[in-house]
Amino acid sequence: MDVALNVRRYDPEADRPESYYQEFALEVDETTTVLDGLIKVREEVDGTLALRCSCRSAICGSCAMKVNGKGVLGCTTKFIDVMGPEGAAVTVEPAGNMGLIKDLVVEFDMHWDKIKAVEPWLKPSGPVPEAEYLTSDKEMLHLAGVMGCIQSGVCTSECTVLEIDENFLGPAALAKAYRFVADPRDDADVDRLGQLNRYGGIWDCTRCMKCVESCPKDVDPMGRIMAMRELAMVAGYTDNNGASHATAFYDIVKRNGLLNEFWLTLRTFGMFNIPEMLKLAPIGIKAFFRGKMPPITFDKIPEPKSVTRIFEKVEGRNK
Amino acid sequence: MRAALSAAQNGVDVAVVSKVYPVRSHSNAAQGGINAALTDRGDKWEDHAFDTIKGSDYLADQDAVEVMAQEAGAEVIGMEHMGAAFNRDENGRLGVRNFGGQRDARTFFIADFTGQALLHVLHEQVLKLGVRVYEEWFVTTLVMDEGRCTGAVAMDMRTGELHYMRAKAVIMASGGLGRVFEPSTNALICTGDGIAQAYQAGAGVMDMEMVQYHPTTLKNNGALMSEAARGDGAYLLNSEGERFMERYAPNMMELASRDVVSRAEQTEINEGRSIDGCVLLDARHLGEKFIDERLGQIRQLGIDFAGKDLAIEPVPIRPGMHYIMGGIKANVDGRTNISGLYAAGETACVSVHGGNRLGANSLLDTLVFGRRSGVHASEWVKSQPASTGDASVEGAENARLQAILDRKDGELFGPVRTALGKTMDKHLAVYRDQAGMEAARADLVELRKRFEGVVVHDKGRVFNTNLIFTLELGFMLDCAETIIAGALERKESRGAHTRTDIPDRNDAEWLKHIVVTKGPEGQDTPNIEYVPVTITQWEPQERKY
Amino acid sequence: MKYAFYPGCVARGATPELYTSTIAVCEKLGIELETTSMEAASCTGSGVLQEKNQRLGDTLNARNLALGERAELPIMTICSTCQGVMGQAEKRLEDPEYRASVNEDLAEEGLEYKGNPGPRHLLWILLEDYGLEKLKAQFIRPLTGLKIAPFYGCYLVRPEDALAFEDNPDRKNSLEIIIEAVGAEVADFPGKTACCGFPILTINQTNSMKMVSNHTLAAKREGATAMVTPCPLCHLNLDGYQPTASKQVGQPIDLPILHLPQLLGLALGIDPEVLRLNKHIVETDKVLSAMALTP
Repeated sequence: MDVALNVRRYDPEADRPESYYQEFALEVDETTTVLDGLIKVREEVDGTLALRCSCRSAICGSCAMKVNGKGVLGCTTKFIDVMGPEGAAVTVEPAGNMGLIKDLVVEFDMHWDKIKAVEPWLKPSGPVPEAEYLTSDKEMLHLAGVMGCIQSGVCTSECTVLEIDENFLGPAALAKAYRFVADPRDDADVDRLGQLNRYGGIWDCTRCMKCVESCPKDVDPMGRIMAMRELAMVAGYTDNNGASHATAFYDIVKRNGLLNEFWLTLRTFGMFNIPEMLKLAPIGIKAFFRGKMPPITFDKIPEPKSVTRIFEKVEGRNK
Repeated sequence: MRAALSAAQNGVDVAVVSKVYPVRSHSNAAQGGINAALTDRGDKWEDHAFDTIKGSDYLADQDAVEVMAQEAGAEVIGMEHMGAAFNRDENGRLGVRNFGGQRDARTFFIADFTGQALLHVLHEQVLKLGVRVYEEWFVTTLVMDEGRCTGAVAMDMRTGELHYMRAKAVIMASGGLGRVFEPSTNALICTGDGIAQAYQAGAGVMDMEMVQYHPTTLKNNGALMSEAARGDGAYLLNSEGERFMERYAPNMMELASRDVVSRAEQTEINEGRSIDGCVLLDARHLGEKFIDERLGQIRQLGIDFAGKDLAIEPVPIRPGMHYIMGGIKANVDGRTNISGLYAAGETACVSVHGGNRLGANSLLDTLVFGRRSGVHASEWVKSQPASTGDASVEGAENARLQAILDRKDGELFGPVRTALGKTMDKHLAVYRDQAGMEAARADLVELRKRFEGVVVHDKGRVFNTNLIFTLELGFMLDCAETIIAGALERKESRGAHTRTDIPDRNDAEWLKHIVVTKGPEGQDTPNIEYVPVTITQWEPQERKY
Repeated sequence: MKYAFYPGCVARGATPELYTSTIAVCEKLGIELETTSMEAASCTGSGVLQEKNQRLGDTLNARNLALGERAELPIMTICSTCQGVMGQAEKRLEDPEYRASVNEDLAEEGLEYKGNPGPRHLLWILLEDYGLEKLKAQFIRPLTGLKIAPFYGCYLVRPEDALAFEDNPDRKNSLEIIIEAVGAEVADFPGKTACCGFPILTINQTNSMKMVSNHTLAAKREGATAMVTPCPLCHLNLDGYQPTASKQVGQPIDLPILHLPQLLGLALGIDPEVLRLNKHIVETDKVLSAMALTP
């Protein structure tokens, strides 16, 4: 099959460096990957094409890139899966959210800085055993899921919060932090959760699921962030809007079966948080006059007790 | 990284220089596990040592194997203490699986991505200790001064600038040379840089003819399907549905040593009992849940790259180039014949793997000898004067590189690399003969000529991968030269070196290593020396599985 | 065509215009909405409850799904978040062991979720059950000359396996299909499947507002007259907080945000007042004048 590979190029040493697109014609079959295509170009057609790649089998994490606008690993993206109808070109661009060095090579240091920021090494405490630490297979298998991360940076590339706020630790670093929080041999969980409870940490994720969707190793970074939110609240870190929002939501639905945004907002910020209430007032007033203010009396389902009962049952088991 | 950790812990100023971010190193592709005889559960290091020596077809130096087998337990436990998340048994202790060439199960594992897991743990420790890493710095040459290694010249890939990295000692741990062969399980970065650079600097490289072809690799991209599958019970079938290993290794069957299995497969393929040039890896009887837990990665590889799901159908596989048992000759402390130059891991040849490496011994090799060379090199430098040699080497290297960049017309490195890979895979694979190896030698002469005329399209300096691949091609040609020299020299069949024209092992004349060193200026062919194999406890016997 | 109507919490709270326009549109199209069987249904948890306890969220949603099963009707949702959250729960509940264990907690109320296909968004129902051609035939007032920007809402586009995209590939660009069906042009802009920022509104308002201004301004750059979204939570941020976002970025935005049923209602000839188009934070006059309707 013939396919046109449309690659975004950038030469920092050009007289006037700027991004431009260059098309290459390739012949491919059902198993050819985008990476195969790029390698062919640089080995036989245009040696100036720069990209990072190594293992070609999704274990080294080098070849993160955007194909048709989506963050992927080049080596697991087959042409046959991304070719548009009627030979529309396949567009390849560098990974997002990280600065550009050359062609498809990005400033990956940004990703590493965030990984380093979560102190990604085991912090055991107490005497070191003679032999191995005793843990269960279940616990180790659970870790294997998040340890499968190959630091590809695809999630870093796709994260919608990193797009607008470089202070966010990002899905990769947070997943790496979870790897230690969930390790029974690591004794620093409470400290780690405390660090992550601050600006840029677990509460800044907007739950858009782009990292879950794009991770080539099914690490589920967002799921790990959510798990740490639960653990942080249990560990007592409840003094932030994220925690009070989740708690208020929980209480309101437990009692009434339904949500009430008016009370939810109040309880998230704190009922007596005057400065915040003043900030919200203009929106509230406008909403009121447009008939968009939820009733001050709680909206309930006909039998709220059936919901309350479920809460109690499921929570009861946790204890 | 293991060497750097022990050097740093020994209080010396050490830095890691790597042409890729450390976690991209090819150790991450090791899947199955790491061997160790844990004495606290009744295993004996002597058993592990013997299995390794037999596996090596008696070419391994037994004193070195003893060291590796004795220190294995401490290394594995050490990694676990650093956070490696090994599988566990029902008592919470480290779990084991069976692996090729070993009578007892002593392979510790982390699902089927043990290498990646251990590599990342080492990286975490490097971050913890704050060891300096020059990431994406490409070494172009070692620097020698009056017979002593005084560092290396490296290119900062971001800027293209060359820097003389002056050092009292250099530990070469740059991995293997898989890309000399096409196809190979190895990553594109495995181009034998360190072996070639040491060879150019005058170091001896040993056992280069011992090239391992792994029995289970995928056809179209050469990807590795871990031995763990067979370790966990998978079968090998030919086109007639027969478990053919019965005829070649009736005791160990699919878990005979790798060279035995690869030869068996190649014979089946050559004699027509294959499908599309492959035999079949069948794991259906292991069940989907088991496969997902222990072999999840290779299941995905089969789906992604061969369109076959290991859980429900056999996957076609065939022998593929995988590992070089040979390398820079080094002793158990990593010392080479050059003062100031150490070597460890696949780059080195101690030799613990001899004529054939057992699965799950490679990760062990890197940790044990990484640690030892880090300790010994760091201890040695404490008593050494500052390294000599001046920065003029930078200018010389720069000129050499610029000359390559200045070439006007010619072919790109790509076709030359492919031609090299194909000729090596044709003539120096599982079965070899005199005519074939001589043809490869002749091809190499032609390829060197072509290499002299290779042009580099990218005339810039920033992240010039075009230039780097071209330099790597030079290293690969050097490595190929030593492989062919060793293979032509060894006039017997042993381990992975199997000659159809001399099919038997000849201990009387060939129980020795072949060491290749670069010939003097003006001599085209390398020098050859022999070094006897060190025997301690185990007299060589006939090798049957 | 009859469905058990699950409006979700916000459609009855802060975006009542969504509820009324849905009723009006379904009536016009002849889609029967049964409103009593899902009355006892609870909030889906919206992903927030799942942060505190995922199993709890799954149990509540199993209950919701069981209510629909008991009524022997397929469930219709009008909120991307409800759809996504229930869809994810449905996916996890596919495991028979897990489902049996969750059902234990529902037994007291006499409910059991048997695993039948779960809810679908009105947007999908129109394409899959109602039919595009039949729908187009009912549009008496096409929005010719208008450019509408689609904004899906994260939960309606990710993760794909919980949204059955493989079996229903049209879902991926369903909103664009509808925009063209009502006679308007699609204002395609990057970020149509990105996040509106609502989940972090109370946690990091600056970031939340940046997302709102980024997407609305990007849509405007493509010439959009208005934006349409099938999620009331997105609507709350894109409409309700648009003035705040505009102030933060220091640029006027003034992009009307329509709910999906409002877009349909306009094309169907329903009175804009019935659609409560005068009840938005950001005035929708522009849309009406472009259609030569009195605002």
